[in-house]
Amino acid sequence: MSAGQPFKISVSDDKIDLLRRKLDLCVFPDELEDSGTSYGAPLADMRRLVDYWRSGFDWRAQEAALNVELAQFTRDIEVTGFGTLNIHYVHQKSKAVNAIPLLFVHGWPGNFLEVRKILPLLTAAAPDHPSFHVVALSLPGYGFSQAPSKKGFRAAQYAEVAHKLMVALGYNEYVTQGGDWGSLITRVMAVKYGGKHVKAWHTNMPMGYPPPITRPVAYLKYLVTPYTAAEKARTQLSQQFEQQGMGYYREQATQPQTLGYSLADSPVGLLGWIYEKLLGWTDKYPWTDDEVLTWVSIYLFSRAGPTASIRIYYEAFQGGDWQHFIRQRPSIPMGISVFPADHSNRPLSWYTSNGNLVFCNAAHTKGGHFAAWETPDALSKDLHEMFGKGGPAFAIVPGKAGYD
Amino acid sequence: MSTEQPFKISVSEDKIDLLRRKLDLCVFPDELEDSGTSYGAPLADIRRLVDYWKTGFDWRAQEAALNAELPQFTRDIEVAGFETLNIHYVHQTSQAVGAIPLLFVHGWPGSFLEVRKILPLLTAVSPEHPSFHVVAMSLPGFGFSQAPSKKGFRIAQYAEVGHKLMLALGYNEYVTQGGDWGSLITRMMALQYGGKHVKAWHTNMPLGIPPPVTRPVSYLKWLVTPYTAAEKVGAQRFSLFDKQGRGYFIEQGTQPQTLGYSLADSPVGLLGWIYEKLLSWTDKYPWTDDEVLSWISIYLFSRAGPTASVRIYYETYQSGDWQHLQAQRPSIPMGISVFPAEIEIRPLSWYKTSGNLIFSNTSHTKGGHFAAWETPDVLVKDLHKMFGKGGPAFSVVPGKTGYESPQAQ
Repeated sequence: MSAGQPFKISVSDDKIDLLRRKLDLCVFPDELEDSGTSYGAPLADMRRLVDYWRSGFDWRAQEAALNVELAQFTRDIEVTGFGTLNIHYVHQKSKAVNAIPLLFVHGWPGNFLEVRKILPLLTAAAPDHPSFHVVALSLPGYGFSQAPSKKGFRAAQYAEVAHKLMVALGYNEYVTQGGDWGSLITRVMAVKYGGKHVKAWHTNMPMGYPPPITRPVAYLKYLVTPYTAAEKARTQLSQQFEQQGMGYYREQATQPQTLGYSLADSPVGLLGWIYEKLLGWTDKYPWTDDEVLTWVSIYLFSRAGPTASIRIYYEAFQGGDWQHFIRQRPSIPMGISVFPADHSNRPLSWYTSNGNLVFCNAAHTKGGHFAAWETPDALSKDLHEMFGKGGPAFAIVPGKAGYD
Repeated sequence: MSTEQPFKISVSEDKIDLLRRKLDLCVFPDELEDSGTSYGAPLADIRRLVDYWKTGFDWRAQEAALNAELPQFTRDIEVAGFETLNIHYVHQTSQAVGAIPLLFVHGWPGSFLEVRKILPLLTAVSPEHPSFHVVAMSLPGFGFSQAPSKKGFRIAQYAEVGHKLMLALGYNEYVTQGGDWGSLITRMMALQYGGKHVKAWHTNMPLGIPPPVTRPVSYLKWLVTPYTAAEKVGAQRFSLFDKQGRGYFIEQGTQPQTLGYSLADSPVGLLGWIYEKLLSWTDKYPWTDDEVLSWISIYLFSRAGPTASVRIYYETYQSGDWQHLQAQRPSIPMGISVFPAEIEIRPLSWYKTSGNLIFSNTSHTKGGHFAAWETPDVLVKDLHKMFGKGGPAFSVVPGKTGYESPQAQ
């Protein structure tokens, strides 16, 4: 069990050279006329991105910037039944000594990079909002974290890694923020470690189900309360996602190795697979080519390779993790931020069934799935409100209210 | 409009060289310990296949063998509302002048190659069984057929191409045999051109829906008749396929272009994507590496590229054709052969709901999805029984019973 080792991203020249050589041999498919984005990632975008990848994109410059902005480390974390995994993480303390320890958990196709914009906002010390010590891990199999080598590494294992990391860093009591897989993982953490360790949790991708008849007041209220216009719009988007957007999920949850040959061998294949989500899951976010290629590079150059990252779908789906943990109701305070273009929005009444909802902002008029990336100010503001003076989770971590 | 041109497969040196250079840079993922086939195509198989692809597999030899065995042609076929498509096909007539014209329609990840083993069996002349003139086309976007460039090329369009090809070859009346997409396409042909042109159809992947309440006798019978043991096993297998095996279907049906970047750029990605099906959709068929790599090569070296081939899923899924066509009941005689390792299996009563069932063999104890490849003798035997003397579809094409002797020299 090692102590934290400082870490700087330093992709080998071999990997960069191999990428260049593969891009030189890149073969594009054709595209049907006027297909827009209906058939998947559009060819014109892909051609432009690959051109830039070959001739303009400067990975070393991106790498250097990341190393400057994000204080990174690695340390070994033991996982029951799976041995020791070397975990990569960002750790930035606030100047405020009693800042609230917060663990940020990404998902797929996200990564530790998603903390980049909110990091300075969360750690800033000011009298008018709370501040946080922030830890953003790379999930096992993502970024520069080691991947498990055995089958069965499920949501509970990811939660175990994340929790043990916080404890190892001296944060015995902390809060969490998560979206995508981070939503499920922090839910599991709230269930398993909530109360004693996790004091409150916030998610920008809440998952819920209709109030059951066994909770008659909520159930009746659900029956008689019409959905708001915003709820209807969000529900429509989610239905569209179910019909049109779940192919990647079905494949990753059932045949990840099959897909994995493509993701490992073809940078442009990996780019297409991820870029389609960057487009489809955001609210017209104006991705720059640098942003897209840096994001995809984290997968391409990841320690375990991109195939490792999709196995979480298989293990959680086959193990029934979503179904099981969605039915749990962690007792610790929960906060949610709902963004209109996220793909899994449900009516608000569904979120009271499985969480102790103390904070809810569903009034956002813009933003999508990658809240920390698209609307970092809005997300930080919600966290400030939830955890700040007068907020419903103020001083939830004893002695660490976030104000000095 | 080009008329029939003889065709020989002749992949350019450039393409073969590019393949070699890509294989030299091939990067494999790792694999979880003891994952077997549960997570997808197994790494050991893929590594072995790629090694052989790099050092041993001789595409030119395969190409030459195919050109020797399969007489191939191309011709232009006009498709209403779309451009004229240049279609590649195998056409082998039997020595028996009165042989039954039969169109063989493949699916995905199949190809015209699937006719290879049954071709000599179907065209053979014998007093014991009927013989056939066989046409096996490459569907638009597959093999060496051109692909449509516009959106909306649906099952009706594939059916139109199949039908017009038969007419162009002088087969005004004919029968069809199809599996996978071939099942749905020949179903559409039976609906659109049945009676006048298509006289009977046979499929090894029959589809169907439960008897509707509007057909009360069948409906009640279905309600009260327990499924046979084989039907129960089939239902379980179908349910497993639905849960574990439909990822490719949903992705291809919703985001084919996204997947397409991988299929176009990575030979090993394409290999993995297809090989997984060759394994799981067959009944422990002992694929040789040559068979697998030839099969994949048809996709890799296809005229339109592999991405074009998956768009049939999108057009069919988005339009609702998948469900809609299964609920139809063509009136012409239908024959089915059901193999135990098939993926899309329904109870027999459902097949009867969706077709005029006059021949069925559901007693096969081995075989899977690619019937013409795995169990060619068995499939042909079923066709002989269906179309032969004493069979339920005997002489269904007037004047072409399949038994006329060859012309005297």
